Amino acid sequence: MAGSAVITEHSLGDILEESDAREVRRSRGPRRPPLLLQLLRPEPMFWQLFSAGGFVAALLLPITVAVLLIEAASAPSEALSYERITRLADHLLAKLYLLALISLPLFHWAHRFRYTVHHQFGVHGLKGLVAVLCYGTAIAGGALTVLVLLGI
Amino acid sequence: MSGKSMALRVGRYRPERASEPYVDEYEVPASDDTVVLDALNYIKDRIDGSLAYRWSCRMGVCGSCGMMVNGVPRLTCSTFLREFGSGPVVVEPLRYFPVIRDLVVDMSDFLEKLRTVKPWIIRKDDRPVEEGEFLQTPDEVDRYKQFSMCINCMLCFSACPVYGQDPDFLGPAVIALAHRYNLDSRDQGHAERHEVLELNNGIWDCTFVGECTVVCPKDVDPAAAIQRSKVSTATQTLRSVVWPFGGRE
Amino acid sequence: MRTEAPRRYPTYAPKVPRTWWLRTAPFRRFAAREFTAVFAAAFSIILLLFLFALSRGQEAYEGFLRWLGLPAVVVLLAIILVALLYHAGTWFRLSAHILGRREASRGAVIATLVAIWIAVSALAAWVYVAL
Repeated sequence: MAGSAVITEHSLGDILEESDAREVRRSRGPRRPPLLLQLLRPEPMFWQLFSAGGFVAALLLPITVAVLLIEAASAPSEALSYERITRLADHLLAKLYLLALISLPLFHWAHRFRYTVHHQFGVHGLKGLVAVLCYGTAIAGGALTVLVLLGI
Repeated sequence: MSGKSMALRVGRYRPERASEPYVDEYEVPASDDTVVLDALNYIKDRIDGSLAYRWSCRMGVCGSCGMMVNGVPRLTCSTFLREFGSGPVVVEPLRYFPVIRDLVVDMSDFLEKLRTVKPWIIRKDDRPVEEGEFLQTPDEVDRYKQFSMCINCMLCFSACPVYGQDPDFLGPAVIALAHRYNLDSRDQGHAERHEVLELNNGIWDCTFVGECTVVCPKDVDPAAAIQRSKVSTATQTLRSVVWPFGGRE
Repeated sequence: MRTEAPRRYPTYAPKVPRTWWLRTAPFRRFAAREFTAVFAAAFSIILLLFLFALSRGQEAYEGFLRWLGLPAVVVLLAIILVALLYHAGTWFRLSAHILGRREASRGAVIATLVAIWIAVSALAAWVYVAL
Protein backbone atom coordinates (compact mmCIF):
# COMPACT_ATOMS: atom_id res chain seq x y z
CA MET A 1 0.00 0.00 0.00
CA ALA A 2 2.29 2.78 -1.26
CA GLY A 3 1.56 6.48 -1.09
CA SER A 4 1.97 9.19 1.45
CA ALA A 5 -1.61 10.48 1.37
CA VAL A 6 -3.35 10.78 4.71
CA ILE A 7 -6.36 8.55 4.71
CA THR A 8 -9.14 9.88 6.91
CA GLU A 9 -11.52 7.26 8.15
CA HIS A 10 -15.14 8.19 7.50
CA SER A 11 -17.93 6.04 8.73
CA LEU A 12 -20.93 5.55 6.52
CA GLY A 13 -22.95 7.33 9.14
CA ASP A 14 -20.72 10.43 8.89
CA ILE A 15 -21.09 10.60 5.13
CA LEU A 16 -24.83 10.22 5.26
CA GLU A 17 -25.12 12.85 8.00
CA GLU A 18 -23.13 15.29 5.90
CA SER A 19 -25.11 14.82 2.73
CA ASP A 20 -28.40 15.04 4.57
CA ALA A 21 -27.40 18.26 6.25
CA ARG A 22 -26.67 19.87 2.92
CA GLU A 23 -29.81 18.85 1.10
CA VAL A 24 -32.56 18.78 3.62
CA ARG A 25 -33.80 21.49 5.91
CA ARG A 26 -32.62 19.83 9.07
CA SER A 27 -35.45 18.44 11.13
CA ARG A 28 -34.85 18.34 14.83
CA GLY A 29 -35.88 14.72 14.92
CA PRO A 30 -39.08 13.55 16.54
CA ARG A 31 -40.61 16.21 18.76
CA ARG A 32 -39.44 15.50 22.29
CA PRO A 33 -42.23 15.23 24.82
CA PRO A 34 -42.16 17.33 27.99
CA LEU A 35 -39.63 16.26 30.61
CA LEU A 36 -42.25 14.79 32.90
CA LEU A 37 -43.38 12.40 30.20
CA GLN A 38 -39.80 11.52 29.35
CA LEU A 39 -39.26 10.44 32.93
CA LEU A 40 -42.54 8.59 33.35
CA ARG A 41 -42.55 6.94 29.90
CA PRO A 42 -46.23 6.13 30.09
CA GLU A 43 -47.02 5.25 26.47
CA PRO A 44 -45.97 1.58 26.67
CA MET A 45 -47.87 1.19 29.93
CA PHE A 46 -51.05 2.69 28.49
CA TRP A 47 -50.83 0.28 25.59
CA GLN A 48 -50.33 -2.69 27.95
CA LEU A 49 -53.40 -1.65 29.98
CA PHE A 50 -55.34 -1.28 26.73
CA SER A 51 -54.25 -4.78 25.73
CA ALA A 52 -55.17 -6.33 29.08
CA GLY A 53 -58.49 -4.53 29.04
CA GLY A 54 -59.15 -5.78 25.55
CA PHE A 55 -58.71 -9.37 26.66
CA VAL A 56 -60.91 -8.92 29.72
CA ALA A 57 -63.56 -7.26 27.57
CA ALA A 58 -63.38 -10.07 25.04
CA LEU A 59 -63.17 -13.06 27.37
CA LEU A 60 -65.15 -12.09 30.45
CA LEU A 61 -67.54 -9.28 29.64
CA PRO A 62 -69.83 -11.04 27.16
CA ILE A 63 -70.81 -13.80 29.59
CA THR A 64 -71.21 -11.26 32.38
CA VAL A 65 -73.54 -9.17 30.22
CA ALA A 66 -75.42 -12.28 29.14
CA VAL A 67 -75.98 -13.47 32.71
CA LEU A 68 -77.14 -10.03 33.87
CA LEU A 69 -79.35 -9.70 30.82
CA ILE A 70 -81.03 -13.06 31.35
CA GLU A 71 -81.48 -12.52 35.06
CA ALA A 72 -82.83 -9.02 34.56
CA ALA A 73 -85.24 -10.00 31.83
CA SER A 74 -86.65 -13.03 33.58
CA ALA A 75 -88.37 -13.57 36.91
CA PRO A 76 -86.19 -12.90 39.95
CA SER A 77 -84.21 -15.96 40.92
CA GLU A 78 -82.06 -17.09 43.81
CA ALA A 79 -78.86 -16.57 41.76
CA LEU A 80 -78.75 -12.79 42.08
CA SER A 81 -80.29 -12.54 45.54
CA TYR A 82 -78.82 -10.01 47.92
CA GLU A 83 -77.68 -12.65 50.38
CA ARG A 84 -75.93 -14.76 47.79
CA ILE A 85 -74.17 -11.92 45.99
CA THR A 86 -73.02 -10.33 49.25
CA ARG A 87 -71.65 -13.69 50.35
CA LEU A 88 -69.81 -14.19 47.03
CA ALA A 89 -68.45 -10.66 46.99
CA ASP A 90 -67.09 -11.02 50.48
CA HIS A 91 -63.94 -12.84 49.40
CA LEU A 92 -60.79 -10.88 48.54
CA LEU A 93 -60.40 -12.87 45.35
CA ALA A 94 -63.89 -11.88 44.25
CA LYS A 95 -63.13 -8.23 44.96
CA LEU A 96 -59.91 -8.35 42.95
CA TYR A 97 -61.77 -10.03 40.10
CA LEU A 98 -64.45 -7.36 40.15
CA LEU A 99 -61.81 -4.62 40.24
CA ALA A 100 -60.16 -6.07 37.14
CA LEU A 101 -63.50 -6.67 35.45
CA ILE A 102 -64.48 -3.02 35.84
CA SER A 103 -61.25 -1.05 35.59
CA LEU A 104 -59.40 -2.87 32.81
CA PRO A 105 -62.13 -2.35 30.18
CA LEU A 106 -62.19 1.30 31.27
CA PHE A 107 -58.49 1.59 30.45
CA HIS A 108 -59.14 -0.23 27.19
CA TRP A 109 -61.82 2.35 26.38
CA ALA A 110 -59.60 5.26 27.49
CA HIS A 111 -56.74 4.34 25.14
CA ARG A 112 -58.94 3.53 22.17
CA PHE A 113 -61.16 6.56 22.64
CA ARG A 114 -58.17 8.86 22.96
CA TYR A 115 -57.10 7.89 19.43
CA THR A 116 -60.69 7.94 18.19
CA VAL A 117 -60.89 11.59 19.24
CA HIS A 118 -57.70 12.42 17.35
CA HIS A 119 -58.09 10.25 14.26
CA GLN A 120 -61.84 9.86 13.70
CA PHE A 121 -63.19 13.05 15.28
CA GLY A 122 -60.33 15.06 13.79
CA VAL A 123 -59.14 16.78 16.96
CA HIS A 124 -55.48 17.24 16.14
CA GLY A 125 -54.29 19.41 18.99
CA LEU A 126 -54.97 19.19 22.71
CA LYS A 127 -53.05 15.93 22.91
CA GLY A 128 -52.25 16.37 26.60
CA LEU A 129 -55.80 17.36 27.51
CA VAL A 130 -57.44 14.47 25.65
CA ALA A 131 -55.04 11.97 27.22
CA VAL A 132 -55.61 13.34 30.73
CA LEU A 133 -59.40 13.28 30.29
CA CYS A 134 -59.44 9.72 28.97
CA TYR A 135 -56.98 8.08 31.34
CA GLY A 136 -58.21 10.28 34.16
CA THR A 137 -61.71 8.93 33.70
CA ALA A 138 -60.40 5.37 33.80
CA ILE A 139 -58.34 6.07 36.92
CA ALA A 140 -61.35 7.71 38.57
CA GLY A 141 -63.48 4.70 37.68
CA GLY A 142 -60.89 2.38 39.18
CA ALA A 143 -60.63 4.46 42.33
CA LEU A 144 -64.41 4.55 42.74
CA THR A 145 -64.50 0.78 42.29
CA VAL A 146 -61.94 0.32 45.06
CA LEU A 147 -63.99 2.57 47.36
CA VAL A 148 -67.22 0.74 46.63
CA LEU A 149 -65.60 -2.67 47.06
CA LEU A 150 -64.19 -1.63 50.42
CA GLY A 151 -67.71 -0.77 51.47
CA ILE A 152 -69.20 -4.16 50.60
CA MET B 1 -58.32 -7.29 -26.32
CA SER B 2 -55.95 -5.91 -29.01
CA GLY B 3 -56.72 -2.63 -30.62
CA LYS B 4 -58.37 -1.44 -27.46
CA SER B 5 -57.60 1.80 -25.76
CA MET B 6 -58.20 3.17 -22.34
CA ALA B 7 -58.61 6.63 -20.87
CA LEU B 8 -56.14 7.70 -18.20
CA ARG B 9 -56.92 10.64 -15.96
CA VAL B 10 -53.60 11.83 -14.62
CA GLY B 11 -53.05 14.27 -11.80
CA ARG B 12 -50.92 17.18 -12.96
CA TYR B 13 -49.20 19.91 -10.98
CA ARG B 14 -46.91 22.44 -12.61
CA PRO B 15 -46.32 25.13 -10.02
CA GLU B 16 -44.26 27.32 -12.35
CA ARG B 17 -47.42 27.77 -14.43
CA ALA B 18 -50.34 27.43 -12.03
CA SER B 19 -50.69 27.21 -8.30
CA GLU B 20 -53.49 24.64 -8.41
CA PRO B 21 -53.22 20.97 -9.42
CA TYR B 22 -55.40 19.83 -12.34
CA VAL B 23 -56.22 16.68 -14.30
CA ASP B 24 -55.21 15.79 -17.85
CA GLU B 25 -56.98 13.01 -19.70
CA TYR B 26 -55.16 10.85 -22.24
CA GLU B 27 -56.20 7.96 -24.46
CA VAL B 28 -53.63 5.13 -24.47
CA PRO B 29 -53.56 1.79 -26.31
CA ALA B 30 -54.31 -1.07 -23.93
CA SER B 31 -53.66 -4.76 -24.33
CA ASP B 32 -53.83 -7.61 -21.86
CA ASP B 33 -50.23 -6.97 -20.90
CA THR B 34 -50.30 -3.20 -20.53
CA VAL B 35 -49.52 -1.92 -17.08
CA VAL B 36 -50.17 1.60 -15.82
CA LEU B 37 -46.46 2.39 -16.07
CA ASP B 38 -46.50 1.38 -19.74
CA ALA B 39 -49.39 3.78 -20.24
CA LEU B 40 -47.48 6.60 -18.54
CA ASN B 41 -44.41 5.89 -20.67
CA TYR B 42 -46.60 5.93 -23.78
CA ILE B 43 -47.99 9.30 -22.74
CA LYS B 44 -44.53 10.69 -22.11
CA ASP B 45 -43.09 9.30 -25.35
CA ARG B 46 -45.92 10.04 -27.74
CA ILE B 47 -48.43 12.49 -26.31
CA ASP B 48 -47.13 14.77 -23.56
CA GLY B 49 -43.42 14.87 -22.79
CA SER B 50 -43.94 17.23 -19.88
CA LEU B 51 -45.40 14.54 -17.64
CA ALA B 52 -43.11 13.93 -14.64
CA TYR B 53 -43.05 10.66 -12.69
CA ARG B 54 -40.60 8.22 -11.11
CA TRP B 55 -39.90 4.66 -12.23
CA SER B 56 -36.94 2.35 -12.57
CA CYS B 57 -36.89 -1.43 -12.61
CA ARG B 58 -40.44 -1.85 -13.97
CA MET B 59 -40.61 -5.27 -12.32
CA GLY B 60 -41.74 -4.58 -8.77
CA VAL B 61 -38.47 -4.64 -6.86
CA CYS B 62 -37.18 -1.07 -6.73
CA GLY B 63 -40.16 0.67 -5.18
CA SER B 64 -39.89 3.80 -7.35
CA CYS B 65 -43.18 3.80 -9.22
CA GLY B 66 -45.68 3.98 -6.37
CA MET B 67 -48.76 6.10 -7.19
CA MET B 68 -52.48 6.22 -6.41
CA VAL B 69 -54.40 4.20 -9.02
CA ASN B 70 -58.15 4.70 -8.70
CA GLY B 71 -57.62 5.83 -5.13
CA VAL B 72 -55.50 2.85 -4.04
CA PRO B 73 -51.71 3.00 -3.57
CA ARG B 74 -50.18 0.67 -6.17
CA LEU B 75 -46.90 -0.02 -7.91
CA THR B 76 -47.75 1.14 -11.41
CA CYS B 77 -45.35 -1.36 -12.99
CA SER B 78 -47.36 -4.17 -11.47
CA THR B 79 -50.87 -2.84 -12.04
CA PHE B 80 -52.50 -4.10 -15.22
CA LEU B 81 -54.97 -1.92 -17.09
CA ARG B 82 -57.11 -5.00 -17.74
CA GLU B 83 -58.05 -4.88 -14.02
CA PHE B 84 -60.16 -1.81 -14.69
CA GLY B 85 -62.50 -3.05 -17.39
CA SER B 86 -63.27 -0.24 -19.76
CA GLY B 87 -61.73 2.42 -17.52
CA PRO B 88 -61.08 5.27 -17.04
CA VAL B 89 -58.09 4.87 -14.77
CA VAL B 90 -57.26 7.71 -12.41
CA VAL B 91 -53.55 8.09 -11.62
CA GLU B 92 -52.55 10.47 -8.86
CA PRO B 93 -49.41 11.11 -6.82
CA LEU B 94 -48.82 9.01 -3.70
CA ARG B 95 -51.14 10.28 -0.98
CA TYR B 96 -49.99 12.08 2.18
CA PHE B 97 -46.70 13.26 0.70
CA PRO B 98 -46.16 16.82 -0.58
CA VAL B 99 -46.37 16.89 -4.37
CA ILE B 100 -43.41 18.49 -6.10
CA ARG B 101 -44.63 18.12 -9.65
CA ASP B 102 -47.22 15.97 -11.43
CA LEU B 103 -46.79 12.49 -9.96
CA VAL B 104 -43.54 13.16 -8.10
CA VAL B 105 -43.71 13.47 -4.31
CA ASP B 106 -41.27 14.67 -1.67
CA MET B 107 -39.94 11.63 0.15
CA SER B 108 -37.87 13.54 2.71
CA ASP B 109 -40.17 12.84 5.65
CA PHE B 110 -40.02 9.11 5.04
CA LEU B 111 -36.24 9.15 4.64
CA GLU B 112 -35.69 11.28 7.73
CA LYS B 113 -37.92 9.10 9.89
CA LEU B 114 -36.22 6.00 8.54
CA ARG B 115 -32.87 7.44 9.56
CA THR B 116 -34.00 8.01 13.14
CA VAL B 117 -34.62 4.28 13.71
CA LYS B 118 -31.08 3.38 12.53
CA PRO B 119 -31.97 0.69 10.01
CA TRP B 120 -28.58 -1.01 9.95
CA ILE B 121 -26.76 -3.66 11.97
CA ILE B 122 -25.48 -2.01 15.14
CA ARG B 123 -22.67 -3.75 16.95
CA LYS B 124 -21.35 -2.94 20.39
CA ASP B 125 -18.26 -5.07 19.78
CA ASP B 126 -16.93 -4.91 16.26
CA ARG B 127 -15.79 -8.28 15.06
CA PRO B 128 -12.47 -8.17 13.20
CA VAL B 129 -12.62 -9.45 9.67
CA GLU B 130 -10.27 -12.34 10.51
CA GLU B 131 -12.93 -13.87 12.73
CA GLY B 132 -15.01 -14.47 9.66
CA GLU B 133 -18.60 -13.78 8.80
CA PHE B 134 -21.59 -13.82 11.13
CA LEU B 135 -23.36 -17.17 11.02
CA GLN B 136 -27.10 -17.50 11.25
CA THR B 137 -29.28 -20.57 11.43
CA PRO B 138 -32.28 -20.76 9.10
CA ASP B 139 -34.51 -20.12 12.12
CA GLU B 140 -32.61 -16.96 12.99
CA VAL B 141 -32.99 -15.73 9.44
CA ASP B 142 -36.64 -16.66 9.44
CA ARG B 143 -37.32 -14.39 12.41
CA TYR B 144 -36.71 -11.22 10.43
CA LYS B 145 -36.67 -12.28 6.78
CA GLN B 146 -40.22 -11.22 5.99
CA PHE B 147 -39.65 -7.69 7.31
CA SER B 148 -36.43 -7.37 5.33
CA MET B 149 -38.34 -7.60 2.05
CA CYS B 150 -39.39 -3.95 2.26
CA ILE B 151 -38.52 -2.05 -0.92
CA ASN B 152 -39.26 1.38 0.58
CA CYS B 153 -42.03 2.02 -1.94
CA MET B 154 -44.07 3.99 0.63
CA LEU B 155 -47.42 2.52 -0.45
CA CYS B 156 -48.06 1.67 3.21
CA PHE B 157 -47.65 5.32 4.18
CA SER B 158 -50.28 6.29 1.64
CA ALA B 159 -52.62 3.67 3.00
CA CYS B 160 -52.22 4.75 6.62
CA PRO B 161 -54.86 7.23 7.84
CA VAL B 162 -52.77 7.83 10.98
CA TYR B 163 -49.71 8.91 8.99
CA GLY B 164 -51.98 11.13 6.95
CA GLN B 165 -53.11 13.00 10.03
CA ASP B 166 -50.26 12.80 12.53
CA PRO B 167 -46.94 14.42 11.63
CA ASP B 168 -45.08 12.62 14.43
CA PHE B 169 -46.09 9.09 13.55
CA LEU B 170 -43.11 7.14 12.23
CA GLY B 171 -45.12 5.20 9.66
CA PRO B 172 -45.49 1.50 8.82
CA ALA B 173 -42.35 0.77 6.79
CA VAL B 174 -40.12 2.65 9.19
CA ILE B 175 -41.36 0.74 12.23
CA ALA B 176 -41.26 -2.54 10.32
CA LEU B 177 -37.62 -1.92 9.42
CA ALA B 178 -36.73 -0.96 12.99
CA HIS B 179 -38.31 -4.22 14.06
CA ARG B 180 -36.44 -6.12 11.35
CA TYR B 181 -33.13 -5.02 12.82
CA ASN B 182 -34.25 -5.62 16.40
CA LEU B 183 -35.03 -9.20 15.41
CA ASP B 184 -31.71 -9.79 13.65
CA SER B 185 -29.43 -11.96 15.76
CA ARG B 186 -26.39 -10.06 14.50
CA ASP B 187 -27.76 -6.78 15.80
CA GLN B 188 -26.94 -5.31 19.22
CA GLY B 189 -28.70 -1.99 18.77
CA HIS B 190 -32.06 -2.55 20.47
CA ALA B 191 -31.23 -0.01 23.17
CA GLU B 192 -30.24 2.62 20.61
CA ARG B 193 -33.54 2.30 18.79
CA HIS B 194 -35.58 2.00 21.95
CA GLU B 195 -35.96 5.68 22.72
CA VAL B 196 -37.36 6.61 19.32
CA LEU B 197 -39.80 3.70 19.47
CA GLU B 198 -40.85 4.43 23.03
CA LEU B 199 -41.57 8.13 22.66
CA ASN B 200 -45.00 9.61 22.32
CA ASN B 201 -46.61 9.01 18.95
CA GLY B 202 -43.62 7.20 17.47
CA ILE B 203 -45.34 3.84 17.19
CA TRP B 204 -48.16 4.20 19.70
CA ASP B 205 -50.40 6.20 17.39
CA CYS B 206 -50.90 3.08 15.33
CA THR B 207 -54.41 1.78 15.91
CA PHE B 208 -53.96 -1.34 13.79
CA VAL B 209 -56.16 -0.25 10.92
CA GLY B 210 -54.26 -2.82 8.90
CA GLU B 211 -54.45 -1.18 5.47
CA CYS B 212 -50.67 -0.97 5.30
CA THR B 213 -50.45 -4.75 5.19
CA VAL B 214 -53.20 -4.93 2.58
CA VAL B 215 -51.39 -2.66 0.10
CA CYS B 216 -47.84 -3.90 0.66
CA PRO B 217 -46.61 -5.40 -2.64
CA LYS B 218 -43.92 -7.53 -0.96
CA ASP B 219 -45.96 -9.17 1.82
CA VAL B 220 -43.93 -7.49 4.51
CA ASP B 221 -46.97 -7.27 6.80
CA PRO B 222 -45.96 -4.02 8.50
CA ALA B 223 -49.06 -4.12 10.72
CA ALA B 224 -47.80 -7.29 12.38
CA ALA B 225 -44.33 -5.78 12.73
CA ILE B 226 -45.73 -2.68 14.42
CA GLN B 227 -47.86 -4.58 16.93
CA ARG B 228 -44.97 -6.92 17.75
CA SER B 229 -42.76 -3.87 18.09
CA LYS B 230 -45.23 -2.48 20.61
CA VAL B 231 -45.05 -5.72 22.57
CA SER B 232 -41.24 -5.80 22.62
CA THR B 233 -40.87 -2.07 23.33
CA ALA B 234 -43.36 -2.27 26.18
CA THR B 235 -41.65 -5.34 27.57
CA GLN B 236 -38.30 -3.58 27.36
CA THR B 237 -39.66 -0.53 29.20
CA LEU B 238 -41.30 -2.68 31.85
CA ARG B 239 -38.07 -4.61 32.35
CA SER B 240 -36.02 -1.45 32.69
CA VAL B 241 -38.50 0.02 35.16
CA VAL B 242 -38.68 -3.13 37.28
CA TRP B 243 -34.96 -3.87 36.97
CA PRO B 244 -33.14 -0.68 35.99
CA PHE B 245 -29.72 -2.29 36.05
CA GLY B 246 -28.05 -3.75 33.00
CA GLY B 247 -28.85 -3.07 29.38
CA ARG B 248 -30.31 -5.32 26.79
CA GLU B 249 -28.34 -6.53 23.82
CA MET C 1 -42.98 16.74 12.79
CA ARG C 2 -42.68 16.36 9.05
CA THR C 3 -39.45 16.89 7.19
CA GLU C 4 -39.63 18.61 3.84
CA ALA C 5 -36.81 19.43 1.45
CA PRO C 6 -36.48 23.06 0.40
CA ARG C 7 -38.06 23.58 -3.02
CA ARG C 8 -38.02 26.39 -5.53
CA TYR C 9 -41.78 26.15 -6.02
CA PRO C 10 -44.42 25.41 -3.42
CA THR C 11 -45.63 21.86 -2.98
CA TYR C 12 -49.22 20.96 -2.26
CA ALA C 13 -50.60 18.28 0.02
CA PRO C 14 -54.34 17.61 0.26
CA LYS C 15 -55.59 17.18 3.81
CA VAL C 16 -57.12 13.98 5.09
CA PRO C 17 -60.91 14.49 5.04
CA ARG C 18 -62.54 14.31 8.45
CA THR C 19 -64.88 11.59 7.18
CA TRP C 20 -62.07 9.35 5.89
CA TRP C 21 -63.34 6.51 8.07
CA LEU C 22 -66.74 6.50 6.36
CA ARG C 23 -65.42 6.26 2.83
CA THR C 24 -64.39 2.62 2.35
CA ALA C 25 -65.77 -0.60 3.81
CA PRO C 26 -62.54 -1.59 5.58
CA PHE C 27 -62.35 1.84 7.21
CA ARG C 28 -65.99 1.65 8.31
CA ARG C 29 -65.39 -1.75 9.88
CA PHE C 30 -62.33 -0.33 11.58
CA ALA C 31 -64.32 2.59 13.05
CA ALA C 32 -67.07 0.24 14.23
CA ARG C 33 -64.50 -1.99 15.90
CA GLU C 34 -62.89 0.93 17.70
CA PHE C 35 -66.27 2.19 18.86
CA THR C 36 -67.10 -1.05 20.67
CA ALA C 37 -64.78 0.18 23.42
CA VAL C 38 -67.49 2.69 24.35
CA PHE C 39 -69.89 -0.17 25.04
CA ALA C 40 -67.30 -1.94 27.17
CA ALA C 41 -66.86 1.23 29.23
CA ALA C 42 -70.64 1.62 29.49
CA PHE C 43 -70.94 -1.85 30.94
CA SER C 44 -68.10 -1.16 33.36
CA ILE C 45 -70.15 1.75 34.65
CA ILE C 46 -73.24 -0.42 34.95
CA LEU C 47 -71.21 -2.97 36.94
CA LEU C 48 -69.90 -0.20 39.16
CA LEU C 49 -73.46 0.97 39.80
CA PHE C 50 -74.41 -2.64 40.55
CA LEU C 51 -71.70 -2.88 43.19
CA PHE C 52 -72.58 0.54 44.55
CA ALA C 53 -76.20 -0.54 45.00
CA LEU C 54 -74.97 -3.73 46.66
CA SER C 55 -72.90 -1.71 49.12
CA ARG C 56 -75.90 0.38 50.11
CA GLY C 57 -77.97 -2.53 51.32
CA GLN C 58 -80.72 -4.91 50.28
CA GLU C 59 -83.36 -2.32 49.35
CA ALA C 60 -81.01 -0.32 47.14
CA TYR C 61 -79.72 -3.52 45.55
CA GLU C 62 -83.17 -4.88 44.75
CA GLY C 63 -84.16 -1.49 43.38
CA PHE C 64 -81.18 -1.67 41.05
CA LEU C 65 -82.19 -5.13 39.89
CA ARG C 66 -85.64 -3.77 39.09
CA TRP C 67 -84.03 -0.96 37.11
CA LEU C 68 -82.03 -3.56 35.20
CA GLY C 69 -85.32 -5.25 34.33
CA LEU C 70 -86.81 -2.16 32.64
CA PRO C 71 -87.40 -2.78 28.91
CA ALA C 72 -85.14 0.10 27.87
CA VAL C 73 -82.30 -1.22 30.00
CA VAL C 74 -82.78 -4.76 28.73
CA VAL C 75 -82.49 -3.42 25.18
CA LEU C 76 -79.36 -1.48 26.17
CA LEU C 77 -77.82 -4.63 27.65
CA ALA C 78 -78.65 -6.55 24.49
CA ILE C 79 -76.96 -3.87 22.37
CA ILE C 80 -73.93 -3.96 24.67
CA LEU C 81 -73.79 -7.74 24.33
CA VAL C 82 -73.81 -7.59 20.53
CA ALA C 83 -71.13 -4.88 20.55
CA LEU C 84 -68.93 -6.89 22.92
CA LEU C 85 -69.29 -10.03 20.83
CA TYR C 86 -68.15 -7.99 17.81
CA HIS C 87 -65.26 -6.73 19.94
CA ALA C 88 -64.32 -10.27 20.94
CA GLY C 89 -64.41 -11.51 17.35
CA THR C 90 -62.26 -8.67 16.03
CA TRP C 91 -59.94 -8.89 19.05
CA PHE C 92 -59.26 -12.55 18.42
CA ARG C 93 -58.62 -11.91 14.75
CA LEU C 94 -56.20 -9.08 15.57
CA SER C 95 -54.43 -11.20 18.19
CA ALA C 96 -54.06 -14.04 15.73
CA HIS C 97 -52.55 -11.63 13.21
CA ILE C 98 -49.91 -10.66 15.74
CA LEU C 99 -49.26 -14.08 17.25
CA GLY C 100 -49.39 -16.16 14.10
CA ARG C 101 -47.02 -15.98 11.18
CA ARG C 102 -49.11 -17.33 8.35
CA GLU C 103 -52.68 -18.36 7.64
CA ALA C 104 -52.37 -21.81 9.19
CA SER C 105 -50.95 -20.73 12.55
CA ARG C 106 -53.34 -17.78 12.66
CA GLY C 107 -56.28 -20.13 12.30
CA ALA C 108 -54.91 -22.21 15.15
CA VAL C 109 -54.54 -19.13 17.35
CA ILE C 110 -58.16 -18.08 16.74
CA ALA C 111 -59.37 -21.61 17.46
CA THR C 112 -57.41 -21.64 20.72
CA LEU C 113 -58.74 -18.23 21.76
CA VAL C 114 -62.31 -19.27 21.02
CA ALA C 115 -61.81 -22.45 23.06
CA ILE C 116 -60.44 -20.38 25.94
CA TRP C 117 -63.38 -18.02 25.58
CA ILE C 118 -65.87 -20.88 25.84
CA ALA C 119 -64.12 -22.42 28.84
CA VAL C 120 -63.79 -19.10 30.69
CA SER C 121 -67.39 -18.18 29.93
CA ALA C 122 -68.64 -21.51 31.23
CA LEU C 123 -66.61 -21.17 34.42
CA ALA C 124 -67.73 -17.56 34.96
CA ALA C 125 -71.36 -18.45 34.31
CA TRP C 126 -71.15 -21.21 36.87
CA VAL C 127 -69.61 -18.87 39.45
CA TYR C 128 -72.16 -16.16 38.76
CA VAL C 129 -75.18 -18.44 38.95
CA ALA C 130 -74.46 -21.73 40.67
CA LEU C 131 -71.55 -21.36 43.09
